[in-house]
Amino acid sequence: MDFGFCLSPSSHVKMDSVDLTTFNRLKETNPDINTCIACGSCTATCTAGNFTEMSFRRLLLMLQRGKEDEAKKMIQRCMLCGKCTLVCPRGINIRKILLDITR
Amino acid sequence: MNSQIFHPFVLPFVLGMAFVLTYCLVGLVRVVLQLPKEDRKKFLRSLVTPKIAWANIRDLFGDCLFHVKIWKRNPILGYMHSTIAFGWFMIIVIGHIMLFTLKPLEGVEAEGFARTFTNFYYPIFYKFFATETPVFAFLMDFFLLVIISGILIAVVKKIHSRIVGVKRVTKFGFADNMIRFALWTIFPFRLIAEKTNIMAFWWLYSFDLLIFMCMLPFTRYMHIPTEALFILMRHAGLKAREPRKGYNLAQLYSCPSCGLCIDACPMSVNDKNSGNTSAYFMKKLRNGDSEDAKRIAETCLMCGKCVMICPVSIESCDIKFSQRAATPYYINSDHSYLENVESSSSDISTVLYFAGCMTQLTPIIMRAMKQIMEAAGEEYEFLDKDGGICCGRPMLLSGKVAEAQAMIAKNTELIKKSGAKKLVLSCPICYKVFKDEYQLEGIEIQHHTQYINELIKNGKLKVNKGNVNYVYHDPCELGRAFGVYDEPREVLENVGNLRKAKSEKELSICCGGSLGSFNLTQKERDEITNNSVADLMFNNPDEIVTACPLCLKTFARKSPVAVKDIAEVVSEQLTS
Amino acid sequence: MKENILIIGGGAAGMEAATQLQKMGLTPIIVEKSEKLGGHIAQWDRLFPAFHPAKDVVDQMLNQVKDVKTYLNTEVTDIQKDNNGFHALLSNNETIDAKAVVLATGFDVFKAERKQEYGYGIYNNVMTSVELERFFKTGKDARINNPKKIGFVHCVGARDVKVCNTYCSKVCCTTALKQACEIREVFPDAEVYTFYMDLRMFGPGYEDLYLKTQKDFDVKCIRGRVCEVSEDMDGRLVIKAEDTLFGKPLKMTLDVLVLMCSMEKNKSIDAIQAKLGIANNSDGFMQNKDMYLGMNGTSQDGVFVAGACIAPKSLPDTIGEARSVATQVFNYINR
Repeated sequence: MDFGFCLSPSSHVKMDSVDLTTFNRLKETNPDINTCIACGSCTATCTAGNFTEMSFRRLLLMLQRGKEDEAKKMIQRCMLCGKCTLVCPRGINIRKILLDITR
Repeated sequence: MNSQIFHPFVLPFVLGMAFVLTYCLVGLVRVVLQLPKEDRKKFLRSLVTPKIAWANIRDLFGDCLFHVKIWKRNPILGYMHSTIAFGWFMIIVIGHIMLFTLKPLEGVEAEGFARTFTNFYYPIFYKFFATETPVFAFLMDFFLLVIISGILIAVVKKIHSRIVGVKRVTKFGFADNMIRFALWTIFPFRLIAEKTNIMAFWWLYSFDLLIFMCMLPFTRYMHIPTEALFILMRHAGLKAREPRKGYNLAQLYSCPSCGLCIDACPMSVNDKNSGNTSAYFMKKLRNGDSEDAKRIAETCLMCGKCVMICPVSIESCDIKFSQRAATPYYINSDHSYLENVESSSSDISTVLYFAGCMTQLTPIIMRAMKQIMEAAGEEYEFLDKDGGICCGRPMLLSGKVAEAQAMIAKNTELIKKSGAKKLVLSCPICYKVFKDEYQLEGIEIQHHTQYINELIKNGKLKVNKGNVNYVYHDPCELGRAFGVYDEPREVLENVGNLRKAKSEKELSICCGGSLGSFNLTQKERDEITNNSVADLMFNNPDEIVTACPLCLKTFARKSPVAVKDIAEVVSEQLTS
Repeated sequence: MKENILIIGGGAAGMEAATQLQKMGLTPIIVEKSEKLGGHIAQWDRLFPAFHPAKDVVDQMLNQVKDVKTYLNTEVTDIQKDNNGFHALLSNNETIDAKAVVLATGFDVFKAERKQEYGYGIYNNVMTSVELERFFKTGKDARINNPKKIGFVHCVGARDVKVCNTYCSKVCCTTALKQACEIREVFPDAEVYTFYMDLRMFGPGYEDLYLKTQKDFDVKCIRGRVCEVSEDMDGRLVIKAEDTLFGKPLKMTLDVLVLMCSMEKNKSIDAIQAKLGIANNSDGFMQNKDMYLGMNGTSQDGVFVAGACIAPKSLPDTIGEARSVATQVFNYINR
């Protein structure tokens, strides 16, 4: 539907044109990825998150909202220490996903 | 006996021999050329260093011929292997001795040792060509029978491996099965040929040798010539670098696919995962099957049990590590934020305690360490009480060597700045990297098992001996990696009774929680944990004690009895 | 028709089932392992959502079963089934012959030590929801010493594969909000925080309870799971969690941390359950026939289940199930 006008730039996430390629690829090798309840344990415990904006919970959302570049930038901070994987109540293999994103 | 010096049936053998010798020579040159310059220098120099040369000779005989390490693991397999290897070797040696000690053969000009070059097939078919009954004839028959007895065991192992104490054997493809069949039949054919002198069997014997030698470079039997080179390179102190080059290539071809690591691997508890063991990893990587090799390399727990049990001493974890390092990640890690991190702990204390990331999740260890250090009257400081910087080991484990340096450098700076004399760690994962990679001159690095043991021994820490029956689990990165077996056991003997696990010390089974593996699912890890717990519960202990926060958390999920860290156990028995 | 019905467990489910079975003309016999009837509910102070005193309900239930034959401090040690029904051997060496068995063995409270990062048993001021309830009932707990800041952690031992419990424990959300109000009643000056993932206010009046926490009690709800607890120099608790709505990790100092422990199946019945051939479901609770019309039935003919031994549930749900099990047993006897 075209109302004949639009506001540009809009800050909306354009869900109609979100590119989910990376997320879907991750989902194939890590089916648990969808069980995330966004509890934030990974972020709260994150060693890198102590100093930076690193947050796996948000990173996962970024991938689902088409912000892949932001996500990849965030991973640069990660120390791969594995605390997030250890605390995740859903048993998501976060460390593996972090590595897989970069492949 | 025949007096001729040649018969056409030696040709298949001569052909095979020529092929295999050429192949090995080319291979040797290739491997040596692939070594980086410094490694090549190191290697060549090692060959003329008397101490290393002596070790080389010792291991060439001990490992290649007598298979001392297999004997230690499983005497039946040891017998099977050494009879075939040593028996065959002896037949060739005695044959050659005879060749140059006996009277000149008719029509042979060369004398003594020179004959081995002109008539090198002679010892292989000696009964056919022998002009007289040699004094060594008895020995030759004896060793032939010894070999055949070894082959009989091999046949039994193939039919039902459990009889010889092996649960799982390596599964082979067509080529490996065929060459094995050729090997098994070489000696019976020779025996029949020698005893009956039927031409057909001499031909069969010779063709068997041809098949064996032609297939050798393309099958696991390549380990026979390669192992010798590998031993020399290992003693030269070479390091694993690129996954399929130089030293690693020698390691890859030295793997006999004997499969001892399959039963040893903690992952084998699930048959589906026994394909992820080192034997298969080596095979896949050898065959250039890089996708599979990559996957297995990243599935491995890096517990080091296969390395410990390997009769050839192949450092398969190092090869997996180099495979990981060779896998590109496309992300430029940026840890520049670490530069501005300041330690909140006060400077100058004798003992600096670094809990590490994992220990942050097991506050009981931190509390126990605090109590212990206070009871011992130690001057101490926590380096990471408000959360520290990762030690770098997990990053290293993922193959990102350069990235880990950022963390190592920052931690080094913080530790050095503190002015501490001693660094105490609670996490074996940290301990491994601190010992291997950190340059902390003048600072003693101890795991808390060693530290507590020292405190008790020098009388600083007074403990009661309770009545609890403990079993101790050796964390992989403390036990197999550094041989810290006695300290924790001495500590536990001081505070209670120590019971034995079914598999102890270097044989201990990984808890399943290892950071080494990227691919294992929670369910697969749980299977490993259950198996490890069952092994620890073998003598019905009251409590399982370990010395690693990750083991602690992993076991706690599945153990029927309490799981405690050694520091907690000691803190419960402090004399107040 | 005076058939014996063996009821294992004298909590809410067992008592209510006995009451109904007796009214139907059957002879219920309750075997209770502890020294008195009432189960967990007898230890609670007030019930959600309307702060109704638990004692009221328990007293009514006890009154109803006063004529029911009851064994206290007794466990079933063995059970056999033949054509005449069930024969149970009790720990006092008596035997009971019964036509049907009702398992109403209820739940155990999750052992908070298992979630070590929360520091229960390590730090003095970490307590469980059960202990807080006891404080409300008795007014005594050394840990609660005019606290200024109190935190509640939801889902301790629930929705967590790391402790092998993937299920939602159903009642902790509502209990947490109820207790949050109550602690504000006792300490009006205290700040109360709850750390939740989802607030599952599923029952009648529950959402009203939530509104009450916001309007009347100013309970501050932070969406995020606490991941680490430590102690500062003064012995106060420092917790780490992510404020997932704000999108940043946070640290907070608290005087008391209350862990909302989940329900787990009462494992003391495992041996008898195995003898009866009844399996556990994937959550570790007893497997009933199905969750609709067969919710009280089991794979063993004549053995019925009711209450929290099937799944975590609230008191009203348990009472409903106890009444339904009575009907099922009645139909079974008269089949």
